[in-house]
Amino acid sequence: MTAQVIVLYFAKSAELSGLKEEELVAVPTPISSEDLWGLLLQKHPRLVALQGQVVLAVHQQYVAIGDQLVTLADGDEVAVVPPLSGG
Amino acid sequence: MSEDPREVIRLSRDWLSVQEVVDSVSSSSCGAISVFIGTTREDQVDGRKVVGLEYEAYESMVQSEFSKLCDDIRARWPSVTHVCVHHRLGWVKVGEASVVMAISSPHRHDGQLAIQHCISQLKATVPIWKKEVYDTQEASWKVNSECSWSPGPDETSSESQNLK
Repeated sequence: MTAQVIVLYFAKSAELSGLKEEELVAVPTPISSEDLWGLLLQKHPRLVALQGQVVLAVHQQYVAIGDQLVTLADGDEVAVVPPLSGG
Repeated sequence: MSEDPREVIRLSRDWLSVQEVVDSVSSSSCGAISVFIGTTREDQVDGRKVVGLEYEAYESMVQSEFSKLCDDIRARWPSVTHVCVHHRLGWVKVGEASVVMAISSPHRHDGQLAIQHCISQLKATVPIWKKEVYDTQEASWKVNSECSWSPGPDETSSESQNLK
């Protein structure tokens, strides 16, 4: 199964990718967060600067980059989340 | 004022009013209002002076993470009555408040502990980011040490670490 999702880029990841958001089509689902991150790295190699210092947010839940599986549906938001600096 | 416990987080591009935040938590059942105000410091970093901060947020997720934060506060300090946080977005110049938060409670002990926890947890979990802008027109994204995916002190980061 595949899904079409919307990827949101924040802070440093938006600068590295040059985008605030984009559609990603034919994303396999379920998919590990590591593989999902890998897809984004393929599209935007400069994101590698965040390797080890980034998590994703899927369905507005933080997901560490690793073997955790996420299930995606058409229209889902996936956010690239660099280290937080609110407050 | 209704006595149903309230919790509000508001993101604003305008100057924050401490009085408004305080008023929104006050309650006749509460003898204490605990307040924290985070202001923009004029730091010097490598000979460059900070002139301001630029904030952005994943707004829909700010709401859901704030809800979880309030659930956590209420579980630890059940007497906490109302919680209100106002946080800036966009440009905040040195000297201005970036965040104002207030918590009301019947007695001061729980409120004082809760407000400390509130700012620490906001820094750890609420999806907001800030970029320091320097007088040289360079900028760098800050990282909170409270955030579990920030680089450690011995890891390289192209950005500076916020140890406040």
